[in-house]
Amino acid sequence: MAALMIGAFYNPHLGAELVRADGIDHLAMADPPAAGDPHWPAIRARYTLLLHDYLGQLSEPLDDRSIERARTLAELYRTPWVAEHFQCLHTVDGTYNLNYVFPPLYSEDFLERFVRNANALRARLDQPLVMENIPGFFDVRASQLPEPVWLRRFFDATQTGFLLDLPHVWLEAHYRGLKPERWLAEFPLDRVVELHVAGVEEDKDLAGPWIAPAEPSDEMLGFLAHAVTRCPQAKAVTFDAFSPSLTAEALFRSVERIRETL
Amino acid sequence: MSDRALQDDVIRALADAPYRKSAAWRTRGLADPDRVERFARFLARHFYHERVVHFFKYSRALARVTGRRPEAVLTRPGFEALVPSIVLGSRETAKAVAQLVVTHVGDAGAAIRYLGDLLQYEAAMMVVEAGPRIWREDPESGGEGAGSGEWSAPETVEGTVLLELAYDLPVVLPELLRPWSEVPQAPARSTKLLVARSPRGRVAVARSTDAIAALLGLADGRKTLAELAHGAGLEVRELEQTLHGLVELGAVRFSTGS
Repeated sequence: MAALMIGAFYNPHLGAELVRADGIDHLAMADPPAAGDPHWPAIRARYTLLLHDYLGQLSEPLDDRSIERARTLAELYRTPWVAEHFQCLHTVDGTYNLNYVFPPLYSEDFLERFVRNANALRARLDQPLVMENIPGFFDVRASQLPEPVWLRRFFDATQTGFLLDLPHVWLEAHYRGLKPERWLAEFPLDRVVELHVAGVEEDKDLAGPWIAPAEPSDEMLGFLAHAVTRCPQAKAVTFDAFSPSLTAEALFRSVERIRETL
Repeated sequence: MSDRALQDDVIRALADAPYRKSAAWRTRGLADPDRVERFARFLARHFYHERVVHFFKYSRALARVTGRRPEAVLTRPGFEALVPSIVLGSRETAKAVAQLVVTHVGDAGAAIRYLGDLLQYEAAMMVVEAGPRIWREDPESGGEGAGSGEWSAPETVEGTVLLELAYDLPVVLPELLRPWSEVPQAPARSTKLLVARSPRGRVAVARSTDAIAALLGLADGRKTLAELAHGAGLEVRELEQTLHGLVELGAVRFSTGS
């Protein structure tokens, strides 16, 4: 395995600290830079940037406007790959929108839709496409395939890369009552290009842990160390926290601990 | 029912609390109802946290004076009472949540003369943003914008809001987001603002005039340009320029002629 890049998300409120920081190899971009961001030129000049914006949901074909936007951002960032999510979060007619990552039904029909639309997007991009797994808090009985099988078939049919979000796998294992390592082993880890790691926190509504812009626990870092040994094609690990509440200390300490772990 | 329609049904159940309670949803047995309810509550709090923090960012910047953070309403009993009726993204829910914030921050008793105007402005932004939106361009349509066809029968877009304020808020808004020690002041000057939303959900604000207010009141999708020009007291050329700007903002739409 080549040396892994270790990085974080670009949090604009920490721009000044990130411009001066050591030990961060790349920054993932969740939003385009704000027009008045004084740190953006230095950030762009200094870092490898990964396009990780919302481009659209691949249950439907992306329209020309969305593809052009993706191409423009990819060029601006000089990104080595373009990331999107396995998500379907708004209704076809636009009436209902969850405004939060939400997985599709793991069915043959949705597999065919995602394969077709990802291939169409990939053909219009100048960079490889990677796709991130999304956690489910509950199973939908109309799903026909286990998520890891559905993902394997998607990657086989599209030759896209896998952005493995480890806390997402950890949470699913937690809510299924499985050991995270056992659940992880089901996924197509040979396709992984990038890994996300972050903390989880208790959520009152869910009455259990969920994704949070928090430092990874020692347990999560141990899970990362385990996962990386099973992802031979991995190129990068990203501390997945993007929030105005994130402090510079938490970001830098997390990246440092990830580096120490690996 | 197709898989895509089933997915839409699950999305609707998570977004629409009354639907989640309906027999139509419950008898389908698609998912564990307790898990769905918990996740829906989580989504509701997340959905409105994002919007309250974004649209009430100016009164949030004043929190060290008011002592009231707008997003605090999301963990108070008023929001809990709304949960059984919440429909994510609807104007009704946006109004109800915005009103919780207006009451919470407005009741602080802070000596900021323009606070009432500011809260009214922020609430209007949040409500205008709500409603169904276009996520993908229809290849058959011309997309957003004024288009190039021959215009006929302009119509004010539902949800467009005209605000009449006692203070000139656009002067003070940028100041509130910069570092300050004394509370920035807004000039006491009667100000009309137009708040509108594009079909893709982009909210825009522009200063308004009596003529624009009249035009928005008259544009019902039936009156001709000549009738609108006469009613708003504008020359036809002036009217066309104004309409172009209003279409770009999302305040007016046209049907285009052949």
